[in-house]
Amino acid sequence: MTDSDKLKQKIYTTVAALLEDDSKIVSDNTPLIGDDRALDSMKLLELCLALEDMATDLGFEFDWTSENAMSKSRSMFRTAGALATEFLSQMTDKK
Amino acid sequence: MIIVTGASKGLGRAICERLLSSRLEIFGLSRDVSNVPFESMHCDVSSYHDVKNVAHALKHKGKKISGLINAAGIASMNLAVTTPPKVAEKIITVNLLGTIYCCQLLSPMIFRHKAGSIINFSSLGVALGLKGESIYVASKAGVEGFTRAFAREMADFNVNVNCIAPGPIETSLLKGVSQVQISKVVAQQILQKQFTPEAVCDLVEILLAPKSKALSGQVLHVGGV
Repeated sequence: MTDSDKLKQKIYTTVAALLEDDSKIVSDNTPLIGDDRALDSMKLLELCLALEDMATDLGFEFDWTSENAMSKSRSMFRTAGALATEFLSQMTDKK
Repeated sequence: MIIVTGASKGLGRAICERLLSSRLEIFGLSRDVSNVPFESMHCDVSSYHDVKNVAHALKHKGKKISGLINAAGIASMNLAVTTPPKVAEKIITVNLLGTIYCCQLLSPMIFRHKAGSIINFSSLGVALGLKGESIYVASKAGVEGFTRAFAREMADFNVNVNCIAPGPIETSLLKGVSQVQISKVVAQQILQKQFTPEAVCDLVEILLAPKSKALSGQVLHVGGV
């Protein structure tokens, strides 16, 4: 497993910890916003704070205020996979 | 620590001095902090970049932020049809977007502790629909709407968001406004007197105190309407 894969799994574990239904498995396609979203708005903000802390530990700043934050088609929050990809991309760009 | 915007003069400065006298730790933001005798940082609230820099600096300080007071604002008395577009844009940008940017970028430092208070500033002019202040009133009406909706977004985190709407308070913001004009506004208040910054500071202290925890998304009119 690569470092990126490990980090992705860590993000999914963070998402899973915020789910009310702990039997749900978080995968690339788990939606974070929209009708079938896994998290309510409060949990989504808690996830942002958790990722901010994770980024600080990794030596970069995670910016969750994307231009497309609320666009269903392009938002980093559209799925857990998209969020992990954005997190890893910001880490690569900013480190 | 409590963040206060518009900290170098007017209501913002008066609020800082009151809170300092109550032994609260203050972090002031202003475009010009050269004469600010307490901990402060340059910030033009209408610049997303400036506000983001403040968030970055405060994060590195590692201080617990328990309050945000968005007192920075500008006014311009003019009829809508004679207001130059750049002036209209500046009023909306500083008063409305400035408040939004500060709430967006600084509130995460408050809601991560699941407690705190955010105070925005509107004007009695919104409720009164003051003639000759339509663009200023539009910017402040935006602040009131934002406050009500943002209060719901913050409620899950035990952070209260309220708005203080003063009438004509004796500050530099009233420079150029005649006593006749001030008296006309004061005459429309329930309490027909011109209040001082002290009255606003009293409300700020109330909204920061745990005793006001049942209040959120409210607009408190100084003088009453």
